[in-house]
Amino acid sequence: MDQQGQNGLLSTFREGWRARRLSAWLIAIVLTGFYLWLYFEDREWFPVALKQMDPFAASLGLENRWYLYGLLYCVAMTGGAVYYLRRHGNSRYNRIRIGVNLFVQIVLAFTLPFVMFIFANKDFYLSYLWPLKIDYLYPDTLAKFPVYVAIYSILASLVAMPILALRVGKRWYCSWVCGCGGLANTFGDPWRHLTSTSTRSWKLEKGTVHTVMVVAVVLTVLVAVDLFAGDSMPRYHSVVGELRSLYGLIVGSILAGVIGVGLYPLLGPRVWCRNFCPMAAMLGLIQKAGRFRIKVKPDMCISCGNCTTYCEMGIDVRSYAQTNQSFTRAACVGCGACAHVCPRGVLKLENHSETRKDKKRTALPILDA
Amino acid sequence: MHIVIIGNGVAGIEAALAVRAKEPDWRITLISEESDHFFSRTALMWVVTGQLSHQCIEPHERDLYERLNLQRVRARAVGLDLEKQQVRLGSGEPVSYDRLLIACGSRPRPAPWKGSELDGIGSFVTLQDCEWLEREIHGGSSHPGGPPRADEHLAGSDASSPYWRRPSVRDARGGAPTCAAVIGGGLIGIEAVEVLAHAKVPVRFFIREDWFWPMALDERESRWIADRMSSHGVEMRLGEEVASFAGKDRVEKLVTGGGEEEDTDLVVVAIGVVPNTEWLAESGLELQERGGGIVVDEHLRTSDPNVFAAGDCAAVTWFDGSRRPEQLWYTARDQGRVAGRGLLGDSVAEYNRGHWYNSAKLMDIEYTTAGLVNMNVEGEKNFFHEERGKVRSTTRIVLSGDRVVGFNMLGRRWDHSVLIRFIEEQRSLDHVLTHLNEAAFDTEFVPPLVLPSRAGELAGPAFSLNAEPVRPPAA
Repeated sequence: MDQQGQNGLLSTFREGWRARRLSAWLIAIVLTGFYLWLYFEDREWFPVALKQMDPFAASLGLENRWYLYGLLYCVAMTGGAVYYLRRHGNSRYNRIRIGVNLFVQIVLAFTLPFVMFIFANKDFYLSYLWPLKIDYLYPDTLAKFPVYVAIYSILASLVAMPILALRVGKRWYCSWVCGCGGLANTFGDPWRHLTSTSTRSWKLEKGTVHTVMVVAVVLTVLVAVDLFAGDSMPRYHSVVGELRSLYGLIVGSILAGVIGVGLYPLLGPRVWCRNFCPMAAMLGLIQKAGRFRIKVKPDMCISCGNCTTYCEMGIDVRSYAQTNQSFTRAACVGCGACAHVCPRGVLKLENHSETRKDKKRTALPILDA
Repeated sequence: MHIVIIGNGVAGIEAALAVRAKEPDWRITLISEESDHFFSRTALMWVVTGQLSHQCIEPHERDLYERLNLQRVRARAVGLDLEKQQVRLGSGEPVSYDRLLIACGSRPRPAPWKGSELDGIGSFVTLQDCEWLEREIHGGSSHPGGPPRADEHLAGSDASSPYWRRPSVRDARGGAPTCAAVIGGGLIGIEAVEVLAHAKVPVRFFIREDWFWPMALDERESRWIADRMSSHGVEMRLGEEVASFAGKDRVEKLVTGGGEEEDTDLVVVAIGVVPNTEWLAESGLELQERGGGIVVDEHLRTSDPNVFAAGDCAAVTWFDGSRRPEQLWYTARDQGRVAGRGLLGDSVAEYNRGHWYNSAKLMDIEYTTAGLVNMNVEGEKNFFHEERGKVRSTTRIVLSGDRVVGFNMLGRRWDHSVLIRFIEEQRSLDHVLTHLNEAAFDTEFVPPLVLPSRAGELAGPAFSLNAEPVRPPAA
C-alpha cells in the first residue's frame, strides 16, 4: 500500500450535500436540532412529550442520555473514519492519526468512563483536559475524585500539555487526542473545504478565540478564590456560581455543541476549535514558541489552492507556499491535509531543530575526496 | 508613470505586485482577455473534477485589484504601436503606456490533422477550455458556479482567439462522452486523461513516442507510469499517431496513423503550446523566426527599451546558451518579478534560470527531477535503484565522469533545492548516496529510502550502474 500520495481526484464541489446546497442545509438542521434536544431536554421549558432521550438511553441499559451521546459519538467517528481513510488512507500519517483518534474516543472517552461509573458511580474522561473541560481544574470537582485522578488532571493540563505542544505542536492534542477534533476529522471531514479562508475570518477568529481563553482562565481563578473565600462572601459566591453555569451554557453547550457540530455542513468542521475553544487558543500560543512548523519547499508551488481549500482551520496555506515561507500558525492543528493534497509535494509537517542541522551542513567540505 | 501589463497571469501579476510594492502612486493597468481574476492555470484540472471551485484556484483574495489600485481592462490586445507607445484593443480603442510588459502567455499548438476544426475537439490550456470540458463532461461548472463575467471579453474578440468560447456538443451527443481520446503525452495530456478517467469516461491516450516521456524517463520508469495509468482504466496507445478526424457536425471518428477508424466523441489535443504573439507580427518588435517567442535580454527587455516580456511568450536564454521560451509556472513567476524590477527602471535585476528542476504528479506517482537527465548523452552513467517494499519508488542519479549532474526520482517526495545543491557542489556518487536523505521530503512516518552507502558496494538486481540508460526493445 502506498505510504503517501493522493487517492486520485475528488469531486467535492459537485456533491450537493458537501457544497452548501439544500441537502447540506437539511443535515445542518437535523444536527442542530439533535444538539438542542441533547443539551436542553431537562430544562423546564422543554416540551414534555419530547423528553425521550433519557428514557431511551435507560431502555438501552445506559445510565443517562450522555452515555447514549457517547455511543453515538463513537459510531459517528467510526463511520467518518471509514469515509476519511477511503479517501486519504494512503498516507501513513493519516492512518496512524485517525487510528489514535478512534482509540482515544472508544477506549478513553467512552468505555473507561462507562466502567468507572459502574464501579465508582462517577466518571472521569482521561482525554479531556482543562481549559477545554474547564471544571477539571475547579477545586470542588477535583475534590470529588481520588487523589491520583486529581493529580493526573493537574499534571496533564498544566505540565504535559505545554511541554508536548512545545515539542510537536498543538496537533498532539487537537488532531490526535481531542474528541472535538476527532469528530471534526472523521464525521466532519466531508465539509472541511467549507471553512472560510478570508482575512476577515482570520481577524474574527483571533478576537473570539482569545476572548474565550481569557474568560476561561479568569473564571477558573474566580472559582478557586471562591473555594477559599466564598464562605465569607456569600454575594461573591453566588455570582461565581452563576458565571460558572453561564459559561457552561454559552461555551460548553451552544458554542461547542449546537454551533460547533450543528453547523458542520455549512461552516466546516472546525468552527468551535477555530473560533471558540480556549484549549486550542492556549495550545496555539505555545505552538508559536515551539518546534512545530510547516516546511515549504522553495520555488515549487504552483498556487493551485488545494492546501488552502482543504485546510479545515481556514489558514491560507498557499499564501505561504507561493512565497517560500516555512511557517507556524497558531491555528494549525497539524491534521496534515495540506501536505497530503499538495500535488507537488511542497509542504511537510515537521518538528524542526534547524539550528543543529544547519551546523552539521556547513561543516561539510565543499568538495569531497 | 503609466505601466501597462498585457496578461493577468502569473508573470503579469507578479510584475504588477513588484511595481506596486515600490511605487504606490504609479498607474498600473492590466489588460486580460481571459479572465477578471488571476488564477492558477496549473490547477484547471481540479476545477473540472470539482475538487476545487473556480474561486479556489485564485491565489489572491478578490479585492486585490481594488486594494492595490490595479486597473483592469478585460479585452483582447490586437496590435502594438511602438512609436506612439500604444496598445490597440479589440474594440479599436488605444491604451497609451510609458512602460509596457507583455506577459500574454501561450496558446495551444494548433492540431495539424484533417478535421481538427470539428466541434468536440479542443485543448486544455485556457480558462475557456476548462469551461468547455466542464460542460462536455459534467454539463456545467460545479458549485459555486463559474468564473465571474465569463463572457465579458467576447465582444472585442473572435474565434481565432484561444479565449473564444468553444461550443459544447454535449446535447448533440446526448450526454457525457463515451469514447474520448487525448493526443499528446505531455503534462497537459496527462491532466486531461486524469480528468476524463476520474469522470469514468473511457479514454484512449495517444502518444507518438514508443514510450512515455522518452526525453526524461528511462524505460523502467516509463513502464511503471504507463502501467499505473492502465490500472486506472486508461487505454495507453504508445507509439501511435493520429491521421485525421471525421464527423458530420461534430467529431465522430478518429483515424489512426495505421488507417484504423475508431468511434470518438471527444478529443483533447495536447501537443504543446506556442507563444501567443501573432498580434505582434506587424509591430516591429523582434520575435523569434521559429516559434514566435519575444526576444529578450537578461533583464527581460525586448528590442524596444520601454517594452519588457515575461512568461511563456518570452524567449529567454537558457543555461545551455539556447534561446527559447520556458513554459513553466515557477519560471514565469520569477520572470514576472524580474520584469517588475525592469518596469521600475532597475537595470541591475537579471533573470537567471539556474539549474533545471521540475516536479509533477503522474496520476498518483510523485515525480521530481533536477539537473540534467537527458537521455543518451555520451559518457554519462546512470545509478538506478528501484524500491519495491512498503513504498514503491525509483531513484536515478546521472553521472558525468565522477560528478553527479542530475536526478530523476519517482514515488517519493524530494526537496529539489537540496538535490541541486549536490549538483552545484559537484558531489560524487558516494557522497550523494550517503547524504541523499537530507533531501527527503516525505511526509512523517514514511519509512526512509535505504540506499547502499557506497556505489562500490552495489550488488544484486535491485541496483545497477549502467554505462547506458536502459532503452526499450525496438518496437
